[in-house]
Amino acid sequence: MAPKRTPAAASSAAASGSSGPVSAPSPQTTAAPSSLSSGPKTLTTNSSIFDIAHTVWQQYLATTPQRTLLLDAFMAFLVLVGGVQFVYCVLAGNYPFNAFLSGFSAAVGQFVLTASLRMQTSSPSSSTTSGEEGAFADYVFGSLILHFFCINFIN
Amino acid sequence: MQLWHSVLQLSLLASAAIPSAAAATWGFTDATVSVNTKGAGVGSGVKETIPDNKALSSPVALGVADTLKFTLTAQEGSSEKRAHQVSLLLQDPETGLDISYPFKVKDNGKSRLDLTQKDLPVQFLSVSEPLDARLLIGSFGDAAAYDGAVFQLAVARNPDEPVPKAEAVPRYGKLPEIHHIFKADAQSPPIVVSLVFVALVLATLPVLGGLWLLLGANVNHLPTALKSAPVPHAVFLGSLLSIEGIFFLYYTSWNLFQILPAVAVASTVAFVSGSRALGEVQGRRLAGLR
Amino acid sequence: MAPKGSSTPCSGVTLKVRPCVAIGDAIRAHTGYLARGYDLVFESPKSDKLSLFDLGEKAYDHLLILPPRSKGFGPALSPKNIVNFINQDGNVLLALSGKSTTPSAISSLLLELDLHLATDRSSVVLDHFNYDTLSASEKHDVLLLQRPGQLRPDTKDFFGGEGVLALPRTAPHTLGDTALLTPILRAPVTAYSYNPKEDLSADDDVWATGSQLALVSAMQSRSSSRFTLLGSAESLQDQWFSATVKVPGSEQETGTANQEFAKQLTAWTFKETGVLKVGKIEHHLAQADITAEDLNPAIYRIKNETVFSIEISEYSNDKFVPFEVPANDALQLEFSMLSPFQRLKLEPSSRTENSTIYTTQFTVPDQHGIFSFRVNYKRPFLTNIEEKHEVTVRHFAHDEYPRSWKISGGWVWIAGLWSVIGGFLAFVFVWLYSEPTSAKTKKTQ
Repeated sequence: MAPKRTPAAASSAAASGSSGPVSAPSPQTTAAPSSLSSGPKTLTTNSSIFDIAHTVWQQYLATTPQRTLLLDAFMAFLVLVGGVQFVYCVLAGNYPFNAFLSGFSAAVGQFVLTASLRMQTSSPSSSTTSGEEGAFADYVFGSLILHFFCINFIN
Repeated sequence: MQLWHSVLQLSLLASAAIPSAAAATWGFTDATVSVNTKGAGVGSGVKETIPDNKALSSPVALGVADTLKFTLTAQEGSSEKRAHQVSLLLQDPETGLDISYPFKVKDNGKSRLDLTQKDLPVQFLSVSEPLDARLLIGSFGDAAAYDGAVFQLAVARNPDEPVPKAEAVPRYGKLPEIHHIFKADAQSPPIVVSLVFVALVLATLPVLGGLWLLLGANVNHLPTALKSAPVPHAVFLGSLLSIEGIFFLYYTSWNLFQILPAVAVASTVAFVSGSRALGEVQGRRLAGLR
Repeated sequence: MAPKGSSTPCSGVTLKVRPCVAIGDAIRAHTGYLARGYDLVFESPKSDKLSLFDLGEKAYDHLLILPPRSKGFGPALSPKNIVNFINQDGNVLLALSGKSTTPSAISSLLLELDLHLATDRSSVVLDHFNYDTLSASEKHDVLLLQRPGQLRPDTKDFFGGEGVLALPRTAPHTLGDTALLTPILRAPVTAYSYNPKEDLSADDDVWATGSQLALVSAMQSRSSSRFTLLGSAESLQDQWFSATVKVPGSEQETGTANQEFAKQLTAWTFKETGVLKVGKIEHHLAQADITAEDLNPAIYRIKNETVFSIEISEYSNDKFVPFEVPANDALQLEFSMLSPFQRLKLEPSSRTENSTIYTTQFTVPDQHGIFSFRVNYKRPFLTNIEEKHEVTVRHFAHDEYPRSWKISGGWVWIAGLWSVIGGFLAFVFVWLYSEPTSAKTKKTQ
């Protein structure tokens, strides 16, 4: 679960941190310099925040594998689903509370599982072994259990 | 003549005492009632003379520090005489509660009563209407007893002091009904709000699809996969779908014991077929296709 | 045994009263009203043979104590023994007389019951307005009173009726503040108490006046045994049953209602009237078909609709009749845990030949725990009913809540859950079969 990080992996993790809040476990301060060193553009020390963000975004799109991008899109979808449910709970009250817990934690749990899958599959070091598919099997197994619990709890 | 006169008066005044013609009747004369406030000088209080065998028209007020002095001379017929019972009966017209205060009686019929608020029962201190005061004069023998109203006694309270209340006496009886107050049922928010948010949630699925298409998602490997390992892939996907389907049935109608064997079968199938199918996926990856 | 042919009817006698047979001639003048199947045993109060208990159990069902000619009672009638007798469900009718000083043993017995005699124990009630002009034109000590009416608007009237009571030489008493005591007959407001032996007028120390003076009172213990105090033993004599009397100011002579009143008083004291019996007690869920298994379940769920019914009979003279709650009163059911959560009126729902069935329906409170159905019916003149039936009240079981789709507020989260599952399935498909766009694959590898 803790693969050695190459600069590319670290940068993608840092970049995805801007789109999804949970998926960036490593601090941005350590990731930023390495991504800058391998990026196509150079940033001066007096670049604007917008420039930095734009560069980071370009860097992310350019260096992330497409499957990982699809996976990030799924995580963004989960954030959206969870966010809508949370806003609804804040606006309209939490009755029935078990349904809220169940629906919201399904989104959050799925997000966590997907993040875990992302950490295991986006690292090139594992690509020589059967790790990616094994991680995917674990992911499917975990997701099914999560779904069972949520369905059970939503009544 | 005098006798006849008093008989006439009595029959008019006291309904209870209907005199028989043969006997004399009791009555009173020289009756005065005075109220003196403690500390104030002698003679400063109210003093009223009560006409013989009649009642005062105005109520007598008795304050907290006042003493009521009531003197009279009892008469049998027209002769002044000591009566065995000379008492002042106070009665609350509302509740009918009564108490009588005997006079100090001398042999010549002169009788005297001192009354303060301390002598009154606590129930009388809080009455709103004036109390009815009646005189009872009676003795042994044939003479008819006298029972007539003399005045009304207004119990004045100091408004600053709390009125002492009589303690409630325990009595068996019905008790007030109790109806349990239930917690209000939780209310669902307006259905429109719920429907809008349902639409929002469901709209995220097309958004996901669109995003994937934008990122170039495709199913180009499906024919390849089906070609190289058709059964495992079909069965793996099928078993995943059926597990979720069983979950849906569990949600709608089945119970735990119905789904457990079904899920056990489906997950075994998924495990076996999944390891094959994922082996094929691995082969694709190692071939550099992924 | 009372001496045969004793001339004074007012001699001190105790007697055992039990359904069946005979009356001794000694105090026939005092027991004529009991000629309805009581087995009377006459004892002198100082008799050595007299004992209220036999091997620790009470030897008589009821006790009638009349004023003694001698100064006091024997050891068998000590206050302790009489209280024990009452505690063993014995009923006592104690008659006093203003003619003689009441023994101090009786006075202390009455104190235990919170009944108070005048301190001199020999006072008589006088009333110069309601006396019998025929027999007491000089002394005014024979009170003529209307039969007692209803005590309160919500009580049953066991002593009412037409006619005038003659109460000769009545020893008055006052009542303490306890719910067990009930006055049956009070003195008129114009009455006062007076001790003929000290020839002083009643002015010195006021003990009680007017209607504070009780003439006949009843005490019913918590175990429903009864004690009646009658101030005038003479009023029970045959002589007063048939006497004609006249109130002052009235021309008309009337007979007395003493015999009828004596019957009512002894019938009540010896539990021939006002005795309640609880029959079936049933509780069940409010539903149409109730089988035997559905009756009196040990467990209820919160918010269940529940029906409770109790069958009550009243013994009246010689048979059980349906009990009717007096107007303005209510038979109440409490559903309580520590304190009542519901206290509801039980309404008569049906009647059998000798009982009434009272029923109510209510919703079990939304609080789980050990509850009890309680019927605590304690009223003056009626024997106590204290029924307590414990049941468990449980929460909703997990499958008794409404399903989530029935609650519109939860639809959003249900949709959220199923879109996550749908999204997951789609993701699995995409992950397995999506072909990478070529340029990027090389870059990352």
